[in-house]
Amino acid sequence: MTSLKRPQGSDQLAHNISNKVYVRSTRSGKVQKIVREVYLRTDIPCSSNLCRACLSQAPRNAVNQALPFVLSARPAGTKSYPQGHYLVPDTNALLNAMDLFEQSSSFYDVIILQTVLEELKNRSLPLYNRLVGLTKSEDKRFYVFFNEFRLETYVNREANETVNDRNDRAVRQAVKWYGEHLALTKAARVPAVVMLSDDRENLRKAREQGLQASSLADYVSELEDGDRLLDMIAESQLQAQGGFKPSTQPLYPEYYTSSRMITGVKAGLLHQGIFNVSPYNYLEGSIKVPAFPKPLLILGRENINRSIDGDVVVVELLPQDQWKSPSTKIIEEDTITKNENADTEERQDFISDKERKALQEEVKRTQKATGENQLQPTAKVVGVVKRNWRQYVGHIDPSTASKAPSQGRRLDSVFLIPMDKKIPKIRLRTRQVSELLGKRLLVTVDSWDRDSRHPVGHLVRSLGELETKAAETEALLLEWDVQYRPFPKTVLDCLPKEGHDWRVPESKEDPGWRDREDLRDLLICSIDPPGCQDIDDALHARLLPNGNYEVGVHIADVSHFVKPANAMDTEASIRGTTVYLVDKRIDMLPMLLGTDLCSLKPYVERFAFTVIWELDENADIVNVRFTKSVIKSREAFSYEQAQLRIDDASQQDDLTKGMRMLLMLSKKLKKKRMDAGALSLSSPEIKVHMESESSDPIDVKTKELLDTNSLVEEFMLFANVSVAAKIYEAFPQTAILRRHAAPPKTNFDELADQLRIKRGLELRTDSSKALADSLDKCVDPKEPFFNTLVRIMATRCMMSAEYFCSGTQAYPEFRHYGLASEIYTHFTSPIRRYADLLAHRQLAAAIGYEAVHPSVRSRGRLEAVCKNINVRHRNAQMAGRASIAYYVGQALKGKVAEEEAFVMKIFSNGFVVLVPRFGIEGLIRLRDLAEPEPESEYDAETYTLTTKGERSVRVELFQKVVVRVHDDKDERTGKRGVKMELVSA
Amino acid sequence: MPLDTSTYSLALLRIDGRRWNDLRRLHAQVHTQEAADGSSYLEMGHTKVMCVVTGPAEPQAGQQKRGTTGGGGAAAGGALGAGQKDAASIVVNVVVAGFSSVDRKRRGRNDRRIQEMEITIQKALAANLHTHLFPHSTITVSLHVLSQDGSLLAALINATTLALIDAGIPMTDYITACTAGSTSSYAAGDDSADPLLDLNTQEEQELPFLTVATLGDSDKVAVLVCESRVQVSRLEGMLVVGVDGCRQVRRLLDGIVRAKGSKMIKEGVVQRSDVMAVSLEE
Repeated sequence: MTSLKRPQGSDQLAHNISNKVYVRSTRSGKVQKIVREVYLRTDIPCSSNLCRACLSQAPRNAVNQALPFVLSARPAGTKSYPQGHYLVPDTNALLNAMDLFEQSSSFYDVIILQTVLEELKNRSLPLYNRLVGLTKSEDKRFYVFFNEFRLETYVNREANETVNDRNDRAVRQAVKWYGEHLALTKAARVPAVVMLSDDRENLRKAREQGLQASSLADYVSELEDGDRLLDMIAESQLQAQGGFKPSTQPLYPEYYTSSRMITGVKAGLLHQGIFNVSPYNYLEGSIKVPAFPKPLLILGRENINRSIDGDVVVVELLPQDQWKSPSTKIIEEDTITKNENADTEERQDFISDKERKALQEEVKRTQKATGENQLQPTAKVVGVVKRNWRQYVGHIDPSTASKAPSQGRRLDSVFLIPMDKKIPKIRLRTRQVSELLGKRLLVTVDSWDRDSRHPVGHLVRSLGELETKAAETEALLLEWDVQYRPFPKTVLDCLPKEGHDWRVPESKEDPGWRDREDLRDLLICSIDPPGCQDIDDALHARLLPNGNYEVGVHIADVSHFVKPANAMDTEASIRGTTVYLVDKRIDMLPMLLGTDLCSLKPYVERFAFTVIWELDENADIVNVRFTKSVIKSREAFSYEQAQLRIDDASQQDDLTKGMRMLLMLSKKLKKKRMDAGALSLSSPEIKVHMESESSDPIDVKTKELLDTNSLVEEFMLFANVSVAAKIYEAFPQTAILRRHAAPPKTNFDELADQLRIKRGLELRTDSSKALADSLDKCVDPKEPFFNTLVRIMATRCMMSAEYFCSGTQAYPEFRHYGLASEIYTHFTSPIRRYADLLAHRQLAAAIGYEAVHPSVRSRGRLEAVCKNINVRHRNAQMAGRASIAYYVGQALKGKVAEEEAFVMKIFSNGFVVLVPRFGIEGLIRLRDLAEPEPESEYDAETYTLTTKGERSVRVELFQKVVVRVHDDKDERTGKRGVKMELVSA
Repeated sequence: MPLDTSTYSLALLRIDGRRWNDLRRLHAQVHTQEAADGSSYLEMGHTKVMCVVTGPAEPQAGQQKRGTTGGGGAAAGGALGAGQKDAASIVVNVVVAGFSSVDRKRRGRNDRRIQEMEITIQKALAANLHTHLFPHSTITVSLHVLSQDGSLLAALINATTLALIDAGIPMTDYITACTAGSTSSYAAGDDSADPLLDLNTQEEQELPFLTVATLGDSDKVAVLVCESRVQVSRLEGMLVVGVDGCRQVRRLLDGIVRAKGSKMIKEGVVQRSDVMAVSLEE
């Protein structure tokens, strides 16, 4: 008999093969034991430029290129390590202080061990991604050393050893090996290999072994800007060294265990959803769950239980006798918790008296309210599935900072008031309060423990003085997560080598001309806002011999310059869209393309992607075709110039005639669209005028709409619809489309009720056509703005439109509600929107111009891209609005204006007005009306607020009032905002 | 979960520590079962398979039936079916043990993937065995999968080759197989992707790959299976690496066969004179 058992040692490889065994549980709860091979090697380089031995045997890829060595031969040193040092952080160090490692002033030449990288990936995916980003940056010199694959540094887990201890030992082993290995280079100055850790046990053992080791705080304090950097270490580990005094008893209820939450959600006893905070009341949150048509309300600090806006939470329903109607009261955090002390948690009662009072008044009021159906289910948070914490921008509440001049490096606890009102105050400890006061700061939230009233965070960096243009702009870019850093070199390398000298090739033999139509003799022009540099689109129209019209929409051929899956494409897909601020534009594509090579500038030849229709007298499509082309725009008009030229009867040249044709056809198209039930919605659009030299805002005007605006818009919509149909036909599963879901009827309940009660008007919402018609009827003969006001309010009841991949929805769901179109996409602005670029690629493939690239037909990838650009698109809009709001505030600086305003929303202790002239909304609280706060009565049925006493006014919904608008700097918060006062009601 | 295949670019290391062109450890034994006509046991990393060859033997009644109905997988070998008079028919059975993979899923005999592997192996053998020497007979190849960790088809083919050699069935040359993949997925569209040799389960799940088998030292491809989507531009590179891997596998198998042969002679199982033509101590 032969035995299958292998004798030991018969295999030369045996000693360097090891197994990695671990247990994982699947989504369905099964536990699996995974066994993996690990091949240990001796050719993993140390990657130090000092080392010759490793260089000679560095691994090579399939085309025989070795990776360049990363670590500098002469790394920076500190007092303790004058010979220079390489840093080896352990997992805790990275978890606590990733922001430190991203500093540009220090933290160079860092060795990231594989052990650490894997552990970090398990603990926090966002941190892992940031770290991988760091290892890819060339100047930071981060090197990933695969210690688990190197024979000398591989560590076997011993019996009774925890995974953590084993990993710590692996880190120490790697540090030891590095030290010994570098000593072999016999360099004059061998850098020290320093382990950074916050685990005392690990540090102690390392020192015992004779290794260089340091805690983060010790290491950082030796750096030049140590004080600044110390603030960036997460709070959790300072706590261990006697940070905040922990309060005696937990303030918040404990979260359920995750298994209890999972089973509860499965059984329908608990509900999962995204937690949203009311913009007017920081103690009221809501969460939409599939089980209920109306969102669940979450009231009070205890029920909110440490959730922050955007977190994915699990909630438990409260008994029906605790159900309430949503608050009609404004409760702002700064006014109620004004006097809290950040340093001590001495306040025994966790819900402060003031908060309790505010809530109680609420309860009284709701009990008075008669309508049973007004009640909404309430719930309490019992657990958090996923934190959605990001970095927050804010400023230090000066009243919490000690007035005494800070002495040296004393640690102070202060509150940071985030810019976003939905985010609670964040407590942070810093040694540099005096420097940070009055600055815009970026902070990260580290944790929110049961025994802490407020979340605890740490400083990332200071953006600059409050109210300076640079700091405020950067703040809002950060707040809306806009990628504003300059394009990296790898992206710029993808640009054409010729730079601005790039021309359309003269010879038609050139590959650039392949399958392109020569449309240079067409009379094409572009119409854009004044000063537009990135011209996406141009138009032409001419009469055909058969009496029909030929209309062409020419879109910049961006996909010619941005090839799929290169660095520039990846960057654009991350940015998703160009962001327009009042004084600044954050481009999606590098300037060279956006404003020059792609831009359809007048008088020069440009590549374009063209849609050409043949339309009959009624603007019905006879046929349509798509082609890549070369065009030469004859003129770039602004809306105003174009309007003047069309209206000027003396102009009889072919170009003007073409424009008149376009205008005529666009009106017919618009009529058809409106007849089909397209909505004309409204949002206050205003424009800030700047002084040309200092670019200080001087005036605010609402945007005027001309016929030519709608001319361009109509043809762009028309092109988008045609393209959408074409790419859907070619790629039924993967076409990039845009849909706008019909809003649920309940969204309009409130507005319909308000209109019915206050004006006796009916809002019909059964179809977009009915809605459009009933909105048209919402007019007040005395007040032309009333219709716009209703439209603005209706717009807020809508769903937001979104990009999607055609395979993910059924055809009826493709519908664009607002435009009343069956199918829609974005095709006409590829310079500023990534979705359009994808549509270009798909269209090019659909017409057989080029082979379809895998990245534009892999559904998984497209879905991920859609998800990202939907978020980016929204953020870009928000950032744009925030920018306008900031500049309106600046424009009003030092001025007082009395303006007409309309009441949009009423609370029991205040109301919101919209000032049409500035397009801004403002809150007027009763306590601003008179001192002391006048007694008031609020009738929720008729939306009327009446005050008595010193100042008696009666405010109704939709009422026109006069307000005094002036800028106001809140001394306590240091925020400048627009403040409104009621002049007459 | 530990790292995935996306970290390859950081240090040109795969998830198990191999370079792009490394095979896993290959271990094999010939003649593991005394009673069988030919047998072998083969490991490629953690993929472990066993092969038993029976025959050439007179076809059994049951097999003939299966051969004609075509239900039993590879027996349905078309022109080479059991009814044929001038050549031996080949029957391949693959049994995947329930405990061979992580999730302990039982795979029935009629599992489509298993049937496809059976047919693939059967076709490759039919083309390269000298079946015409054994008319009216059947060669049965029984394969048992004990443990799976990627490159299963390749391991099955290699084990079959060894067992057939052990059974002494004349064939044109070694049929050796291995898998080749690419370091980035299809959708990533990364042009600088490296080809990979011999993928394990995790890599097979995340990356595109193909299985290739060649004949002896030549470039003649006996089997080529690719079920994942991959750019045409990358296919050539993958194929080159795969064919090269097959050659490495052939050298390893050849070494094992020769070692076994010389051992048999030393032990006196085989008469030295019978093998005069072959030089054993090379």
